[in-house]
Order: sequence, then structure tokens, then C-alpha cells
Amino acid sequence: MIRRWGPWIALGVVVVIALAVVLWPHGDQSSAARAQDLETQLKCPECQGLSVADSQAPTSRAIRSDIKRRIAAGQSDEQIRQAYIDKYGDSILLAPEDSGVSLLVWILPVVVLALGATGIVFALRRNRDEPHLRATDADERLVEREHRVEDTVDG
Amino acid sequence: MKHPARIVALAVALVVVVLGVVLALNVGNDPEQDAKQSHLVGQAAPAFDLPNLSGGRVTLADVAGKATIVNFWNSWCIPCEQEAPALQQFYAAHKDDSDFAMIGIVRDDTTGDVRTYVKDNDVGWTIALDPQNQAALDFATRGQPETYAISPGGTVAAAKYGPMSSGELETFLAAARASE
Repeated sequence: MIRRWGPWIALGVVVVIALAVVLWPHGDQSSAARAQDLETQLKCPECQGLSVADSQAPTSRAIRSDIKRRIAAGQSDEQIRQAYIDKYGDSILLAPEDSGVSLLVWILPVVVLALGATGIVFALRRNRDEPHLRATDADERLVEREHRVEDTVDG
Repeated sequence: MKHPARIVALAVALVVVVLGVVLALNVGNDPEQDAKQSHLVGQAAPAFDLPNLSGGRVTLADVAGKATIVNFWNSWCIPCEQEAPALQQFYAAHKDDSDFAMIGIVRDDTTGDVRTYVKDNDVGWTIALDPQNQAALDFATRGQPETYAISPGGTVAAAKYGPMSSGELETFLAAARASE
């Protein structure tokens, strides 16, 4: 029993620990850390592929100041992010949103991977469980008859 | 579960179909295009209160009741230079219209360079300076030139990122006049 389910239990434990590490709340961040985090999530509107944090463009400088101002005013990260989406659209985000249709971008690869892994597991199990072909009595008789026919022809 | 492989294959096919449908539904949403479109159109124009070149202030309230063209620009931007003749021609055609106003908001430039440019190019419309890029941020600009048409009631009627032709400026003015 343990031999059969052991690897699955071990895999489950690893997955649960990984999820816990990734999803566990990291506690209250400082204002500077929050600002830095938001700046890395927003795309510089007048650059190609640079985050607001990495850009020295005038708009990025203005956005950095604005984020600090909004944090000081008590806005949550979600409110600040939403304010920028309202202004610029989803294209202001460097990574797709994790809600609505955009959620599929995150979920689909995981689903496809999980289905693929399940398929491989089933295929391997079927291969292992499938009985090896053994000659039946009828097969044996057929082969014997063929041999007799060959002997007759040769003789 | 007699045929698990078939079920898995079916599930994969289902996922692929869902992905296909989602992609087909979103095929019209070009992120590049979306990034250039203003989300302000149809909304109230952001209020601004900016210094002008002579020490005064320029505010959105100053142009309340007028169809207004707001153009973000600066003296070193080459597309702005390409756009300048169209702005000149358009302004000359409408400067005496009682229901018309035009404001050039300068982003990312020095007052000295702007002053020189305005003098050398005989810019007649109102110029406002945006040293902190706050107005540029409030309008969610993506650079310069960027032009907005604001209705007499203060609604953004049209917006464009990039140089405008005089024909496009006329269209913008008509949109501003037609809007509430």
C-alpha cells in the first residue's frame, strides 16, 4: 500500500509546500517596497518593454512620484493598479491580469501540463498492467500444424 | 474509467478548443493598438493648473464653454516639428472663432528653449508648461505630440498619439463642438 501510494503522497507534499511558499502572505511591506513593487508591475507608457522602475522617461518619473503620493494618501496596491488600468488600459501592465479572460493565460499552461502528466502516468500504468501475450492452446495447435505441413513439404 | 487515455485526450482537446475560442474572441484586441488609444475619450477632461510663459496660469476652467484643442509637445521632438505647420494653419483658420481655444502643453523641456521656439515660430496659441509632467500623466499621454479635443462641456471628444494633419485637427474640432 505504502509502496503504491508513497510517491503520490510525496508529490502531494511537495506541491502543497511549494504553493504555501508562493501564496503565503508576506506581511506588511514598507511603503518604499510597495512603491518599488508597483513600479516593476507597470510598463513605461512611452518606452518599449521597460518597466516604470527601470525607465528614466519623464512619464515614468511622474508615475513613480504619483505612486508614492497615492501610497501616502492611503490607497491600496489594487486601487493604484486599477487607477492606472483605468487611465491607460490593460497594456500598462507588464504581466497579464490574474482575473477574467487574462486568468486563462496563467491557468491554461498548468492545466495542459497536468493533463499531459496524467496522460503519461496512465499510459505507463496501462503498459505495466497489460498482460504479456501468451500463446493459447489454439495458437500452439496452429503452430504445430504449420510445422507438420512444413515437414511434409520438406520430406 | 475504462479508457483513461481517451478521457485525457478529450480533456486536452477541450482545453485547446477553449483556448481557440478565447483567442478568436480576442483577436480584435491588438495590444499595440490598445496601447496607443486614449481611454479618456468620452470622459471628463482632467483638470490642470499650469504656469504659462509670462508668469500667469493656464487652467482647464479658463476654456470652459469652448471647443478646445490641447496639444502636448516640446521643442526638441522631431514629430512635433513635423506637425507644427498643420497646427499653425489650423490655428490661423480658427483663432477668431469665439467658441474655440487651443493650448499647447509642454512636457519635458526647459522654459528657455520653449520661449525661443515660441518666438522663432510665432506660436500664437496659449502655451502652458508642465514641469512635473503631472498634466501629461493625468491625460495618460504616451509621449509627444499627443492631441486631445475637449468639448465646451469639458468632455474629451477625441484623442490621438502622433502628429496631426490639419484635416485631422478640423475633425477633432468638429468632434469637440458636437460633443456635450
